[in-house]
Amino acid sequence: MTDEGVPAVRVMVVDDHPMWREGVARDLTEAGYHVVATTGEGRQAVRVAPATRPDVVVLDLQLPDVSGVEVLRALLAELPGVRVLMLSASGEQQDVLDAVKAGATGYLLKSAGPAEFLDAVGRTAAGDAVFTPGLAGLVLGEYRRIAAAPAPAGDDLPRLTERETEVLRLVAKGMSYKQIAGRLGLSHRTVQNHVQNTLGKLQLHNRVELTRYAIEQGLDD
Amino acid sequence: MYGVVPFAALCDGRSVPDSSSDAPGGRRRDPPGSSQAPLWRSIAVYRFAALAYVAVLAVRNLNDYAHPVAGAVLLLAMTGWTVCSAYAYADPTWRRWPLLLADLAVVLAVVLAAPRVVGRDVLNDGVPPPSVAWLAGPVLAWAVSGGRRRGVVAALVIGGTDLVARERFVQGSLTGAALMLLAGIAVGHVVRLAVVAEERLQQAVELEAATRERERLARGIHDSVLQVLALVQRRGAHLDGEAGELARLAGEQEAALRSLIASRAPTGLDRQEVDLRSLLGRYASATVSIAAPATAVPLPAGVAGELAAAVGAALDNVARHGGGRGWVLVEDDPAAVTVSVRDDGPGFPPGRLAEAAGQGRLGVAQSIEGRIADLGGTVRISSAPGEGTEVELRVPRGRTVPEQRADR
Repeated sequence: MTDEGVPAVRVMVVDDHPMWREGVARDLTEAGYHVVATTGEGRQAVRVAPATRPDVVVLDLQLPDVSGVEVLRALLAELPGVRVLMLSASGEQQDVLDAVKAGATGYLLKSAGPAEFLDAVGRTAAGDAVFTPGLAGLVLGEYRRIAAAPAPAGDDLPRLTERETEVLRLVAKGMSYKQIAGRLGLSHRTVQNHVQNTLGKLQLHNRVELTRYAIEQGLDD
Repeated sequence: MYGVVPFAALCDGRSVPDSSSDAPGGRRRDPPGSSQAPLWRSIAVYRFAALAYVAVLAVRNLNDYAHPVAGAVLLLAMTGWTVCSAYAYADPTWRRWPLLLADLAVVLAVVLAAPRVVGRDVLNDGVPPPSVAWLAGPVLAWAVSGGRRRGVVAALVIGGTDLVARERFVQGSLTGAALMLLAGIAVGHVVRLAVVAEERLQQAVELEAATRERERLARGIHDSVLQVLALVQRRGAHLDGEAGELARLAGEQEAALRSLIASRAPTGLDRQEVDLRSLLGRYASATVSIAAPATAVPLPAGVAGELAAAVGAALDNVARHGGGRGWVLVEDDPAAVTVSVRDDGPGFPPGRLAEAAGQGRLGVAQSIEGRIADLGGTVRISSAPGEGTEVELRVPRGRTVPEQRADR
């Protein structure tokens, strides 16, 4: 949430359902955000992004023309540093994981209430990772998958520290950062940092993987 | 064609072919794609081919027969029955005991009549009877209609009768009986395989059609109803009273509908591995969150079913005694699968669990523990006042004992 007097955060809303889109835009405007663009198409979102310069993009993972993950990659290429809050219904787990690995700042279920949604947009604008319990489960699973998969020699695989695993498990079991901080005897900020780190390592690994792939395919020139 | 008459009576007047036949009350046909129709057609072809062979033998040896005229009549009768049975067996509703028994009876009559027509001395001189290969018709028909056992029975009856009717042991007759027996076994076996293959194919086709239809509906529902329900919930979530209640209901229905279209249809094969996530997916709702890896969590169907049932029992407990909200976390390690169920209820101090167990008030926990212990797993329950209650179910991988037990 933004306070009065602070320059309004610029938000773009990308969702193919018009009623939903307008509803979200209205909530954001009422909460003091500056909604700079709304669109239902991924390609259009990428096209208008440089001109409208949003700070935060609220992006539905399921779009009719291109996949949300592709839109996310294109947006990050056009506007490095833009923060993207992915929205989706449950049930597209691989998409959600791909999106956060590709650089989404956070993820929220579409069924979240307005207060939760506005809170998530606020945290996304501040650069904090927005996690649902479901996303924490996906990230835990991804680290285990990476650890179990046969790794190329000399590779530095991302690993969770014991503390990070502990924190992620508690997030996945629905505990708030405040509850986690209380149980583990940490500060709220430390818990937030641990969560952020789990995502950061995964995104870095993803970039390394993509670069390696590009070199292997001779596309690095 | 006068020789046909007595056999036409057996055929209930159906000896007159009627090929324009799908009219009501007319001949019925095998469903398209059935493996049965070609088998019956090939038996008919076999009968005609065998009849042609018999006719050639009979014409060549007619002058040696004791009663050449009776031989010709016998040949005509065999021709009549060949035509008659070909039409009768072509109708699936006719392939039952009356026709099978009549078929056997006619052939037995021919077997018994043959030595008298040809004359025993002539037969013993090595002249073949006017039946030989034609005798195997009912053996094939019985084998196709009921598998190996029926084929063997028909072969034994016909072969035995043939041996008895000749009253003297002839090597050729024994060879014929043995060949019929082998044909009965082989054809019966192949038919059984064909029937099983056809059933499997049918199941696969039905499953695929159901899955496709389900996916089509899921896409439609996802693009329309779910969006609107989510919107209703969203717009009304901050309202009080009836409107807020409506919004809450819309949210619940959205979650329920979503998990309904997301769940996969069961395949019905118990030995298969299933994805635990798809079994747990049906518990997802507005108040229950399911966190799981993005990749499948495969477990033997029996283990996954028990584990999912234990999670369901834990969630029932959450709904009754917890704060109403529940979180499920699925973790997949090489050594074990762990499912944690947490609620945000009041929780209880550490000593209370033992106390409750002592008073016999831990029915649910015990039923969960029983299920998981059967799978070789462990259950850990932890709670603290104000921190809700957590049930952790851990089932080791590589144990298929319960499934094998269920198979027996």
